[in-house]
Amino acid sequence: MSAMNCPMSSSTGGVRSWTSTTSVSAWGKRIQKEMAEFNLDPPHDCSAGPKGDNLYHWVSTIIGPPGSPYQGGIFFLDITFPCDYPFKPPKVLFKTRIYHCNVDSNGNVSLDILKDGWSPALTVSKVLLAIRSLFTNPDPYNPLVPSIAHLYLSDRVKHDEVATEWTMRFAR
Amino acid sequence: MGSDSITSAAAAAAFSREMGKKKRANRYAKLKQCKLDARREQWLSQVKNKGGEDSNTGSSPPPSLHETNEGNGSLGHLEMRASSGISVHESDLESPRDSLDSSNSDNVLRKDGPRTSTSSRSGSSGCFSGSVSEDEEGDGGPDDWEAVADAMTASDNRQHPHTETPVRTETAVEPGAPKEFPKNGCSVGILKPEWKRTLPRASTINNCRAWRPDDALRPQSLPNLSKQYTFPMNGERHCIRGGSQIWGRHNMSAQPSQCPICCEELDLTDSSFLPCSCGFRLCLFCHNRILEADGRCPGCRKHYSPVDGQMGVSGGTPPFRAARFCSMSSRS
Repeated sequence: MSAMNCPMSSSTGGVRSWTSTTSVSAWGKRIQKEMAEFNLDPPHDCSAGPKGDNLYHWVSTIIGPPGSPYQGGIFFLDITFPCDYPFKPPKVLFKTRIYHCNVDSNGNVSLDILKDGWSPALTVSKVLLAIRSLFTNPDPYNPLVPSIAHLYLSDRVKHDEVATEWTMRFAR
Repeated sequence: MGSDSITSAAAAAAFSREMGKKKRANRYAKLKQCKLDARREQWLSQVKNKGGEDSNTGSSPPPSLHETNEGNGSLGHLEMRASSGISVHESDLESPRDSLDSSNSDNVLRKDGPRTSTSSRSGSSGCFSGSVSEDEEGDGGPDDWEAVADAMTASDNRQHPHTETPVRTETAVEPGAPKEFPKNGCSVGILKPEWKRTLPRASTINNCRAWRPDDALRPQSLPNLSKQYTFPMNGERHCIRGGSQIWGRHNMSAQPSQCPICCEELDLTDSSFLPCSCGFRLCLFCHNRILEADGRCPGCRKHYSPVDGQMGVSGGTPPFRAARFCSMSSRS
């Protein structure tokens, strides 16, 4: 009963302390909504969901898009929402090793919308789409691993070979 | 004779039940009070939104008067209902709120109704019958209404404008008339099963109770049905009651009803707040928060214009006027 009335009480503003116990902060609602929308209409080849019962820690997978050297690989990502999400971007970390000029060996991703380009109107689903498009279109001009970026620019075939090999080795 | 014994047995059962639940009801009374306040606040803001259209609410002769008189007539019927273990008693959590509603309508009735010179016992049965129509709102049942009535007496007057709403709403929506079911139908699936179980019974009992739109006895002060249906609160309230699982559906309405940033409901001030020329709407709270950081519109990533920014920052003191000013300035 009290759980049922939570949306009502929180919407009136005065009684925010009644918000559901599963949400850590007032922004839990936003993350819950994103989860619901993600499950309703997940982006192509992507999946995401909370790890355990912590809404602020998600696990995601992206399947390497066909036509890219990452084709067929399954890449796991950790998504951590800061407590002031959505005003700050989520932190995305590759848990699967990948040969990519925008992903370093620790799994950090250099992606504009995960830093300065973040907007509170963006969602996890859009972030995953952006990462997925990074598979097909790496950005060698803002690299995290300059050597890979250099190879990508100078010898694309060699780059793709190595990337395919890594995909076979780590992402299968 | 048989019906007599059933009636007294039911009355005794009801009494013992009331005693048993009195404690719990008192505990809930406080909680319910908060909720009622919240609902009342919400409702009042809706009324304000509607203009003077519903301003006669406070003075409207309570529809429950009519119902109760009818109810006294069908007392035996209702007691039978009570003795057959009606759904009313099955939801313990629901009951205190219902009893709040019903007890309030009962108080209204004692105050305004000169014709109700009934004893307290028959008054209670009247209340039972009155709440039959209220059950359609999704409320479970009039359980320990007396206990809560005690708790509520003090704040009774303050509650009237609010608690009359459900009664009035539901009397306008005639349960027996099939053409009005589509409107109701959307909420049937949302509300608790208990409500569904009560409905058929209520419709058979209540067929003659609710006013038809062209009823001569229908008080003039009741809003007409077309207005009733456009009253924005009905759908929203049903959705909210239905639980959080359907809020996504609620969100799909054409007008954005939630802040896209924090997903809280946009109130009146927020929905008239247009901080950026790109048309991206958000609530004042989030807007303010963004201004404290980089101050860029989430929709177009452009910086909010200085005027808007200033107003937004100082918007804490007179938020409503600030919002109006902002929206006007950004439109021009």
